[in-house]
Amino acid sequence: MAATVNCALALALLAAMGLSGTADAQSKLLEPERAFAFSVQALDDKTVEARFVIADGYYLYREKMKFDVEPAALAANPVLPEGKLKDDPFFGKVETYRGRFAVKLALDQTDPGRKVTVRAESQGCADAGVCYPPQVQVLTLALPLPGTGPGAPVAATPARKSWFN
Amino acid sequence: MDRLRVSDVSAHLQPEHGTLFTRRWFRWSAFAVAGALALAAGLHFRGNGDDAGGTGRGMDAATLFAIAMPDAAGNQQSFGQWQGRVLVVNFWATWCVPCREEMPEFVKVQRELGERGLQFVGVAIDQADKVEAFAAELGLNYPALIGGYGAIELSKTMGNRLGALPFTVIIDRSGRVVHTQLGPIKEAVLRTIVGQLL
Repeated sequence: MAATVNCALALALLAAMGLSGTADAQSKLLEPERAFAFSVQALDDKTVEARFVIADGYYLYREKMKFDVEPAALAANPVLPEGKLKDDPFFGKVETYRGRFAVKLALDQTDPGRKVTVRAESQGCADAGVCYPPQVQVLTLALPLPGTGPGAPVAATPARKSWFN
Repeated sequence: MDRLRVSDVSAHLQPEHGTLFTRRWFRWSAFAVAGALALAAGLHFRGNGDDAGGTGRGMDAATLFAIAMPDAAGNQQSFGQWQGRVLVVNFWATWCVPCREEMPEFVKVQRELGERGLQFVGVAIDQADKVEAFAAELGLNYPALIGGYGAIELSKTMGNRLGALPFTVIIDRSGRVVHTQLGPIKEAVLRTIVGQLL
């Protein structure tokens, strides 16, 4: 009896290994712009906040993050929030972001009403065992007039997958 | 397995040269044998089978064989030189940890099966100096070509919908893509597929 149960268990385990979550995870992998959703918002006439919302099971490398703004230049190098320490078998201790994080970008000149373009470069991976090449995401927003509060958030809106593709 | 067949069926709808009936029949039987073997081994092909139209399986690798890329030393290497061998093309990068993790396994399989006609070729989406350093560290025993970001586009034409790494393509001796995989490939899966082709 015990042997039968053990045998059934072993079979179930084998089945679980063969048809395991990895296969499903791989077929459900997100496009990079969905895995790493980028948005920006002008907090005032000379500060833009860049935000990333990272899907569960995905992460970005802190040291690979780069931000740039045009035509206004950055007044200072943006201060990136601390990431989560990951002990990588090859790269040693590296900081990664999961969930969400935001970075304030201080502009060197104020030009209310003017449109600025924010460029974010990032590189990340999925826990399922794939990495995405470094990607550049670009968003354009208008700076608000001084004293009028923050502008509206601007997000990239990746085309939704329709049922037929 | 159903998915494997579906994408292969769509490949048969493409116009081809040669005697259509015999070629079809030959491939169908080849796939049936491959399918039976895989089932018998209890293996599940874990390719990116979510987009039957774009997995690259069943496609002709003629485009690939017409391409040349520099190796780390800067010498142009044509894929055509490996035509007729069982070819495993692995798109990777030194900045991709899952890529680095599976490569020792490729070194081992290349060492064991190279003489029987197996040829691994690594295509790095990376810089030559970094590739050279990692190849030396690993004792890489197969060519490491420097593909740059253009190679991501090449991998997309072979079914790498997301352009992510690692991405591996297995091509049979007749130049047909028989397996594509996004993410690490299990050694048992690799050996089963390659074993059928050698």
